[in-house]
Amino acid sequence: MTEFLTAAVGFILAMLALGLVSILRGPGDTDRMMAAQLIGTAGIAALLLLGTVTGVPAAVDVALTLALLATFASIAFVKKGLSSLDTDGAGITEDK
Amino acid sequence: MSIATVFEVVLATVVLGFGFWTTAVRKTYSAAVGFVAYGLLVALIWVRLDAVDVALTEAAISGGLGGVLLLGAAARLRDSETTAAEAPGNLTRACAAVLSVLIAAALAGAVWLLPEHAPTLAPRIVANAWATSLANPVTNVLMAFRAMDTMLEKVVLLLAIIGVWSLAPDTAWGGRPGPCHRADPNGVLAFLARLLPPVGIVVGIYVFWTGADHPGGAFQGGAILASMWLLAIMAGLADTPATSRRWLRCILIAGPGLFLAVGLGGLWFGSAFLAYPAAYAKPLILGIEVAMILTIAATLGLLLAGAPERSVK
Repeated sequence: MTEFLTAAVGFILAMLALGLVSILRGPGDTDRMMAAQLIGTAGIAALLLLGTVTGVPAAVDVALTLALLATFASIAFVKKGLSSLDTDGAGITEDK
Repeated sequence: MSIATVFEVVLATVVLGFGFWTTAVRKTYSAAVGFVAYGLLVALIWVRLDAVDVALTEAAISGGLGGVLLLGAAARLRDSETTAAEAPGNLTRACAAVLSVLIAAALAGAVWLLPEHAPTLAPRIVANAWATSLANPVTNVLMAFRAMDTMLEKVVLLLAIIGVWSLAPDTAWGGRPGPCHRADPNGVLAFLARLLPPVGIVVGIYVFWTGADHPGGAFQGGAILASMWLLAIMAGLADTPATSRRWLRCILIAGPGLFLAVGLGGLWFGSAFLAYPAAYAKPLILGIEVAMILTIAATLGLLLAGAPERSVK
């Protein structure tokens, strides 16, 4: 079972590396932020599996923190970034 | 080569790749996004190194609040970046590169020359854990054995917020920090800002409470609470409080103030400054931490909100 879970961590890490490629390619900031979100999700999955494999139950707490704060980072990206990006989704941000 | 080693090599390569890219990329905003992802991955490395306390802090500060701070700074700088094209010359770049390589080489050398058995106080900390009846050695060090450092650290946070506030123009002094956020009350942002904070507040208090016996603590919990507060502010559901408010200033000094009072009490009733009486050590530490989590949440939230911009009408 441990071998299987470790292999699953390896697979998720491979996906994570693909996210890195996506961040490198871009081309836009929005694409990069989406890739960063993918990496956050993959990181949460890897943490949960890693905590089970190595017997560190507190890894679940780290995963919880990551889940909350990765969402927060994406919201901040939209609020702070879109006001000066010329995209059609800018209707939700009307900062004065 | 075992599968765990392969995993570690892949993780290290990806993190190094992020590090290089974040340094090399030209646009500040892209670099900030890269930094957020970098922080998430470094948290993974800390878990792999069995330093879960550090992983929690890394996830909360570097991946979360620090990344958001950088995103905000990059968004502000973006307008000036296009007009003032003052790229550093080749000589400056070469000097910076040489300096960076030298620092990296010195660090690598220091790690290489580390003694086989590092001098450590860890066994003594574990042996003396009974004194506070807290099971988490990190909390023991932070709140009891090196409590002085933690108290001064909270004073530094206070100085940081004074530094940010002092950037306010005269007309806005004592006013509300940051822009006034508006969002569609029926939109997805307002929905998320109603849905997430209840969960986040529970998780924040849990991380603080579990810190007595397991990885966690007031700083990580406070960072989570601060991000939930900022989420409600960014969605327009709440406004930043005017910095002249008395209750706000009371919260800001509650943590270091109570810490100092307990420390002086130790001097008065006990043997030394910050010496807790053994029977009341745990309640005293938890009491200080309750005041501290409020202070930390308010301070981090206000640090991210920025200098006062709107004067109180």
